[in-house]
Amino acid sequence: MTIATAPSAAVTGSPAGGPPRPRRLLRWLLPMAPALVLLVLFMAGPILWSVYIAFTNETLTGSASVNSRFVGFDNFVRMFGDPNFLNSFVLTFVFVVGSAVIGQNTLGLIIALLQRGRGRVTRGVVNGVVIGAWVMPEIVAAACWFSFLAEDGTLNTALGLSQEWLYTAPMLAVILANVWRGTAFSMLVYSAALSEVPPDLVEAAAVDGASPLRRLLHITLPLIRRSIMANLMLITLQTLASFGLIYALTGGGPGTASQTTPLYMYEQAFRYFEIGYGSAVALVMLVIGALFSLVYLRLIRVEDA
Amino acid sequence: MKRSLAGSLVVLTALTAAGCGGGGAQEPASGAKELEVLYKVEPTWPHLEKMLGDAKKQYEAAHPGVTIKLTAVQGNNEAYYTKLALLNRSPDSAPDLYYHDTFQVNADVAAGKLAPLDDYLAKWPDWSTQFPDSVKQAAKGADGKIYGVPISTDTRGLWYQKDVFAKAGLPVPWEPKTWADVLAAARAIKQKVPDAVPFSMYSTKIHGEAATMQGFEMLLYGTPGGTLYDDAQQKWVAGGKNFTDALTFINTVYREELGPKQADAHNAKLADKVNLEWFPAGRIGISLDGAWTSAAWKPTSTKPWPEWTDKVGWTAMPTQNGEEPGAISMSGGWVMAMSSYTKLKQEAFDFIAVATNKENSMTYSVSTGDLATRKDVAEDPKYTADNPSVKFWTDLASVTRYRPAYEVYPKVSAQVQEAMEAVTTGARTPEEATAAYVKALPTAVGGADKVLTR
Repeated sequence: MTIATAPSAAVTGSPAGGPPRPRRLLRWLLPMAPALVLLVLFMAGPILWSVYIAFTNETLTGSASVNSRFVGFDNFVRMFGDPNFLNSFVLTFVFVVGSAVIGQNTLGLIIALLQRGRGRVTRGVVNGVVIGAWVMPEIVAAACWFSFLAEDGTLNTALGLSQEWLYTAPMLAVILANVWRGTAFSMLVYSAALSEVPPDLVEAAAVDGASPLRRLLHITLPLIRRSIMANLMLITLQTLASFGLIYALTGGGPGTASQTTPLYMYEQAFRYFEIGYGSAVALVMLVIGALFSLVYLRLIRVEDA
Repeated sequence: MKRSLAGSLVVLTALTAAGCGGGGAQEPASGAKELEVLYKVEPTWPHLEKMLGDAKKQYEAAHPGVTIKLTAVQGNNEAYYTKLALLNRSPDSAPDLYYHDTFQVNADVAAGKLAPLDDYLAKWPDWSTQFPDSVKQAAKGADGKIYGVPISTDTRGLWYQKDVFAKAGLPVPWEPKTWADVLAAARAIKQKVPDAVPFSMYSTKIHGEAATMQGFEMLLYGTPGGTLYDDAQQKWVAGGKNFTDALTFINTVYREELGPKQADAHNAKLADKVNLEWFPAGRIGISLDGAWTSAAWKPTSTKPWPEWTDKVGWTAMPTQNGEEPGAISMSGGWVMAMSSYTKLKQEAFDFIAVATNKENSMTYSVSTGDLATRKDVAEDPKYTADNPSVKFWTDLASVTRYRPAYEVYPKVSAQVQEAMEAVTTGARTPEEATAAYVKALPTAVGGADKVLTR
């Protein structure tokens, strides 16, 4: 769904003119038709249904599962009055900023920068390792980190410590695991973007006496700013909905110490069977995701103007 | 992934329900009939699967033309409840028969998902001759009808490691009279046997209903007048001193580090650790758990420990200050239930009758350690043969209590788990956790008018 947002941004930015409107629209729609038909066929119903039940007291079992009632905004009132939801909200923010915006984004950029001009072997090895973490299924990655951080795990053995990392620092643990797993994506985006930076510009700056840092800040980064924004948007949205890794590592615990909103939502909908309330939370998540992408899209447009 | 997780799960569920409804009673053109049976299995708990496999063979031999399709859910009870609830959303995906926890029965009766069995039971001689009246109540709906044939029942109490007790200088046999006695023993173990976990109980959300029932209710119902539900006024009790006292016990266990470490307290496999690892290794003092615990050590276990009969002791959980009747137990159990959606009701009931006949009940009770529901099984010497504890646990029925398993009970239970986990981690004091429970209760039970303020 996120992927669909990026091309549409490109479309709005396309130059005016060309063939008359209806034909242009058709030319635009036709290649998308198969995807669109599939989406409508399989997704539209369930999506509309989940929006509808967010305003009901629908449950998975019990009488409300067959005779649900329209309850207006009750679910939303309850949500914003629940300290566990507000807690999950803060944790989601910490998780997104910590693991995506700061962690994956910065680390991905640094790796991509360091790889410029390196030998084939170095690039191959580094790329292999970083991408290896990325292609690994989420649950396998979680299992690796679990055994790394467990009380009798690799980290404690190596450091000679006896720490229950997943219980003393659960957020740090899930953030690190997510950075480790997700950096490859940012790295690939930035590698591609950096290869588009004309080398003569950078060389010219170097000849003029600009230090490496100045060259990075004033030449390279401005040139790849659109990639930065697009990358930030994509990883923010991915991380916002991240579930499997945290669920398998800490289950949201101990207590609610690492219960981000997707985990809170899962618990409400599928442990406590409050599917209506869970859908309401999902709807709020959707709005937040939309707000984030609006901000990023807006930033891209400001840059372009 | 802008669309969030619950949404996609809903989509998945809807797709499964709409597109791939493989279950349900089907009568293909050939006239062959199929009944789908849903049950749970875990690597360390293969017992039900074995019993149902036997029942399938017996049934298919006696009923040509009907096949039994056994569908397993891999995972703990909580995973099983979720999977069953999702499958039950649509008649197409609902299994015809399922293994069902009694506390979930009323919620499904209210939704019309279960078929009443009274008409079939009336024609089944075993029901009146072999099932005691107390057991028959296990899956009785609010409407007075029977919605499941009990496979197992249970009681709860304390198991203790005699070697650890000897090292800690504690008497064996051990008969604690109050909560303070239990805590004193745990403190002695902590001091004298530092490599052993003094006291283990389930107190976190990951253990779900086990935490509520084996943990919290074993404490609450042992306080004077302690209950979750006031039968006379038909209202849910909002906290009160009893509630806080029970949480205080849990708080003491974890603040004084008498319980398992936090990592273990939050480990879904805590029971396996306690029973398969710590008890044989002498690394646990006391465990608050169910009658079935000895199944982990019996020859039918995945890791038998023949010495258990000498090394392990069992005793009743005392009431708070030794109030009458001196001990407390909670009872629940599982039934075989029939979906209201199944088209082959008589055939389905016949399978229940086979699965709960003497032979299969024996297989199940002996291997799981659950208490037998049938009189002929309970009286058979094979049932007690290699389990010297079974008489004790059966006799606990004299003090046992039942959960208020009404439709909203699972939601109340979830709130209890929140409160327990908060004091386990130390996020809240017992008083704060009680206050949070009181605040959440009206939503859980469907209105402030259903709550009794204490």
